[in-house]
Amino acid sequence: MANLKVSIGGVEFNNPVFVASGTFGYGNDVSELVDVNQLGAIITKSITFHPREGNPPPRIIETPSGMLNSIGLANIGVDQFIKEMIPYYASLETKVIVNIAGSSMEEYLNVLEKVEKVGENIYGYEINVSCPNVEKGGMEFGVNSLMTRNLTELLRKRTEKLLIVKLSPNVTDITDIAKGAKEGGADAISAINTVIGMSIDISSRKSNLATKFGGLSGPAIKPIGIANVHKLSSAIQIPVIGIGGITSAEDVVEYLLAGATAVQIGTANFRDPGIGVKIIAEVDAYCDSNGYYDMSELTGALVNDS
Amino acid sequence: MEMLAPNIYEELQGPGQFINILVDESWNIPLRRPMSIAGANRDQLTIIYKVLGRGTKRLVTKLRGDFLNILGPIGNIFNQDKFNNHHPILIGGGIGIAPILWLHNVMKGGSFQHELIIGAKSKSDHFLKHQPSRKIYLTTDDGTLGIKGTVMRVLQQVVNQLYEPMIVACGPAEMLKVIQTFLIDINIPGQMALESYMACGLGICQGCVVELTHSHQEKHSFGEKFSLICRDGPVYDISRVRF
Ligand SMILES: Cc1cc2nc3c(=O)[nH]c(=O)nc-3n(C[C@H](O)[C@H](O)[C@H](O)COP(=O)(O)OP(=O)(O)OC[C@H]3O[C@@H](n4cnc5c(N)ncnc54)[C@H](O)[C@@H]3O)c2cc1C
Ligand SMILES: Cc1cc2nc3c(=O)[nH]c(=O)nc-3n(C[C@H](O)[C@H](O)[C@H](O)COP(=O)(O)O)c2cc1C
Ligand code: FES
Repeated sequence: MANLKVSIGGVEFNNPVFVASGTFGYGNDVSELVDVNQLGAIITKSITFHPREGNPPPRIIETPSGMLNSIGLANIGVDQFIKEMIPYYASLETKVIVNIAGSSMEEYLNVLEKVEKVGENIYGYEINVSCPNVEKGGMEFGVNSLMTRNLTELLRKRTEKLLIVKLSPNVTDITDIAKGAKEGGADAISAINTVIGMSIDISSRKSNLATKFGGLSGPAIKPIGIANVHKLSSAIQIPVIGIGGITSAEDVVEYLLAGATAVQIGTANFRDPGIGVKIIAEVDAYCDSNGYYDMSELTGALVNDS
Repeated sequence: MEMLAPNIYEELQGPGQFINILVDESWNIPLRRPMSIAGANRDQLTIIYKVLGRGTKRLVTKLRGDFLNILGPIGNIFNQDKFNNHHPILIGGGIGIAPILWLHNVMKGGSFQHELIIGAKSKSDHFLKHQPSRKIYLTTDDGTLGIKGTVMRVLQQVVNQLYEPMIVACGPAEMLKVIQTFLIDINIPGQMALESYMACGLGICQGCVVELTHSHQEKHSFGEKFSLICRDGPVYDISRVRF
């Protein structure tokens, strides 16, 4: 039995396998199917100040080794979230991190402040500055280092809890944005959000998504995730949480070697919501058979030979 | 296709429900494929499907005795309480026949009076070797089997001959849309089972939405304008859906 515990910004997680925002609902929908308490953490669907209906259908389409989505941050809004979910989270042993999205600084701040007041059992926030599926907001912050810094700074003043900034790969230099987040006081960076993509139905000559463009996820983007995590972990001194295309323990190890302290599983939950729990056991077995005793032996252990 | 799935059978509620099938263990086919349950007993769960694209092409390669990873049962059921004091007309178009057939058999078992209209493009597209009978109507667009024309042709006739008819339909969106317009016009109630692309079938991806006819449009809402077919459906009141 290896020690699977990891620590990020002073918060200790039982293992490095989390579930990604928007791919596990709020956690409650699958709690009959999966022992969610075994997960290292649950990241909630992005919460905005007001409820959001999201984009018109079709919102999803399968692509080679992945899928495109244009959900458009459909969510119940912070008030209903507090009413319905905070009591449920109090009954959980796993750590819950609230993902926040907004279209203005005030919106991020207002959501955070509301949750901050009631969420004793919430361990932190993941700030989504990188959603490609809303016309205004999200990405505006995530493509601009200074804005990311200002937003992070603003939120940092209002919470002592774990503050993670989630970044997009759809930028010229992800490390530049990450530096902004770090300077603003982020405890960690998570990356990557989905990659902008598009697919066309050649018989109707229309895009397969109502919004035309969407976010690509799944194994198709794993090499992009690995590259970005490696760039980030080399460039900044705060922990990086790796996301993108993880479907197995080997994928988790690959992200750790690239420099991640923990990982999040996204699209794979749609095939099997229990995949995270299975992967945790497999990571443990991997460590046993390869002689690792602690996750820290893997994080950043990439061999730079060439 | 028949499968043995006692755990799913235990939890089954009735016609309308579906299962979500992982047709390929590798990521060559990333998402599960939803299929309506067309019949069920303890030893056998039946689906009827049409081979369209990669997913269903993979599904037909499964052999007797193979294991299949399926999630279910998912979704709500046709509301049979609403049939009281009504004369149900069941309509299945194309692959939409699956849940309708199950409902038909359940009602037949309970000796519940009803009509059944099954439509397809052509004889070769008809899933069943049903013989037309007094209360069963078959249609084909090209007239190669049964009545020539769409299910609408039969529906328009039958509806006038029945006392308090109620429609239960499943099939392509174009068909459901025509039926909806017709029924709203003559003020006849109905239910229909919808389809959409699905990633999870569990309510966690928000991918499977249908637009609702929302009377009170609010600026900020969730679930008023769009409904998740996998969680709130697939069966909807015919007047609630906007095509
Ligand atoms: C609740 C539900 C119940 C269903 N029940 C049945 C059933 O009983 N029998 C059956 O044959 N099919 C059923 N379907 C449709 C079935 O899921 C699709 O036909 C199947 O996923 C197609 O997969 P494919 O890879 O073969 O085709 P793809 O390559 O994915 O697509 C081929 C063609 O099928 C269309 N298509 C793909 N997915 C769907 C979908 N979900 N709904 C409608 N059209 C689609 C595409 O537009 C495309 O033109 C159901 C769908 C839902 C949501
Ligand atoms: C359907 C869907 C919805 C998503 N919703 C959100 C969201 O609300 N907020 C967010 O920060 N990321 C969201 N994401 C991005 C994922 O959290 C993750 O970053 C991305 O999918 C890459 O990981 P994966 O390849 O394992 O899926 C969503 C992804 C998908 C596929
Ligand atoms: S298919 Fe994922 S929410 Fe319905």
